[in-house]
Amino acid sequence: MREQVLRRVRQALQGRPRAPHPGTLDTGVPDAPAPVEHFADCFRAAGGEVHRFAGADAARRWLHGFAARFASVSHGAGVPASLALPAPEAPPRRAELGVSVARAAAAQSGSLVLSSRDGRRTQLLPPVHVVLVDAATVTATLGEALDACRGDGGSALALHSGPSKSADIGQVMVTGVHGPGRVIAVLLDDWPGP
Amino acid sequence: MEIRSREYPERSRRGGDVRASVTGATLTFDAHRRAAYAGVAAEEWRHWAEGVKTHLLTHLDRYLEEAEARLEANGAQVHWAGSQEDVHRILSGIVERRGARRAVKGKSMLSEELEVNELLEKRGVDVLETDLGEYILQLLEQPPSHIVGPAIHLSLDEIRRLYHETHGTEPDATPDELAAVSRVILREAFLAADMGITGGNFLVAETGTVALIENEGNIRLTTSAPPVHVALVGIEKLLPRWSDLAVFLQLTARAATGQPVGNYVSMIHGPRTAEDPDGPEEVHVVLVDNGRSDVLADPEAWEALRCVRCGACLNACPVYRQTGGHAYGAVYSGPIGSVLNPGLAGLHAAMPLPFASSLCGACEEACPVRIPIPELLLSWRRRAVEAGMDSRAKAALLKAWTAVATRPGAYRAAGGVLHALPDPVRRVPLPVVGGWREVRADPEPSRTSFRALWREGIE
Ligand code: SF4
Repeated sequence: MREQVLRRVRQALQGRPRAPHPGTLDTGVPDAPAPVEHFADCFRAAGGEVHRFAGADAARRWLHGFAARFASVSHGAGVPASLALPAPEAPPRRAELGVSVARAAAAQSGSLVLSSRDGRRTQLLPPVHVVLVDAATVTATLGEALDACRGDGGSALALHSGPSKSADIGQVMVTGVHGPGRVIAVLLDDWPGP
Repeated sequence: MEIRSREYPERSRRGGDVRASVTGATLTFDAHRRAAYAGVAAEEWRHWAEGVKTHLLTHLDRYLEEAEARLEANGAQVHWAGSQEDVHRILSGIVERRGARRAVKGKSMLSEELEVNELLEKRGVDVLETDLGEYILQLLEQPPSHIVGPAIHLSLDEIRRLYHETHGTEPDATPDELAAVSRVILREAFLAADMGITGGNFLVAETGTVALIENEGNIRLTTSAPPVHVALVGIEKLLPRWSDLAVFLQLTARAATGQPVGNYVSMIHGPRTAEDPDGPEEVHVVLVDNGRSDVLADPEAWEALRCVRCGACLNACPVYRQTGGHAYGAVYSGPIGSVLNPGLAGLHAAMPLPFASSLCGACEEACPVRIPIPELLLSWRRRAVEAGMDSRAKAALLKAWTAVATRPGAYRAAGGVLHALPDPVRRVPLPVVGGWREVRADPEPSRTSFRALWREGIE
């Protein structure tokens, strides 16, 4: 079947002039705001929440306060020990809170880039998702962010650009349909390391 | 692909308010698309995207081979399907080998085209649609009516009634409550499923990556939770380079819903690796031709293969806004359906769809890959005339006109249809309707499909 499909495609293209690839399109804009601020604006516009801290200590204080409201948490594989939450660990399908690490983030589209290496169930199953972001990995464009993740290893990447939502029921927007209804990006200017 | 004109089930007709729902939804989508185009260098992006897809299509054999090699290097299994029968054989093989009993599905127009649910049910597999709109349509046994918003023809009240009857919710339940009920049912299904089935918005040849765009998270779960993931990908869905993907993701979302990017994007290189804590053990990518190479061979219609299925042309189309997608009686509705169906299913089977347009040009302006839809419609019309199919089209369209002209809401929408007809027909005196505005939604559903009128015309 492979040969048959390829033969049909080749026959179809006989005599058709070959068009060149137009090259890489840079979607960056000259007067764009600084990436971290721009990311925060775009992520909030899509319904996400953003907190920014200078370093691990300030972030940890906030995270511990926040985690107190949850009975259980599921940590992604890449969460640094220094930022782990004190709540009891639970499997993602039962955890009330998921905590992941972003591989990168893109300002222009307001996207967190998540890796399968961190654990997909933690990214998807708990109703609230906290994503830790090293501010140094926030790029202006989505193209730059995906470029940075190229050849990363792991079987999949994902963009999360806001809480799960749908307008399929009578064109009324509802959140938390399948994925987390709350997604919170926690940006650290100074990343603590593993 | 068979063009079906499945009737609306009786259930959906009670209190049906198709036109109001469709008009409202498409006008909203279209306004969001315009605003989103205005926020970027849309003209530059669209020209660029047209160029990338044209390059891809004119080197398709090479990129198919590259995609296959990369996917296999990533550990995915690649299958080639010339026809619907091939797809069914491939899926049956996977189902049998895995002993699969339960499948979850992400929204995929290609799976509709290939009648995948019917096949799986025949094989004894319980298939559950997991996109909220598709889930609702599965309960109603209806096909999707829009590429992006499959259930936009249904009003909140109709969905409330359905959930009241099927799930025992309160008759006045809020959309949040209805979504919460669905979430519980579908969450269990994700975790219990033996396989997940999706389409593919893009397949990047350079890296062997299937990319899927969505808003709910159901595709993320469909591709993450079950042990097997099968992606059905039309051969025209390839992109040459990894660096092409970021722009196509953003342009498609802007065109479809006006978002800067889909809420969730899954980029799947292959099955779970040693570095991954979870994910599917098997990833299958089925490369589907099913008529696409015939369209590619067509010196005019091949341009339609650039389509990224964003639905912008449906939202911009004054005819679609009045009728909704079901009236077209085919999997692909709206302007793109009217140029794609004749190529995929044959012109005769698709008549009179190429005539179901006012040639106003709104679709071409909206299209993120600049497909010259009006030109392609004219090309199919010319061929219909040459093949002697046009007199029947004329008869059918005159009937359609009579039906439509008596209802003011449809007047302007259908007006341009007559431009397709030769002069003596075009000069038929038309009723003049005053005061009707584009945004006015007439509460009466459109009762007659183009397809039904066409049938009446010949039988
Ligand atoms: S033809 Fe263009 S506008 Fe219509 S669905 Fe395809 S890509 Fe979108």
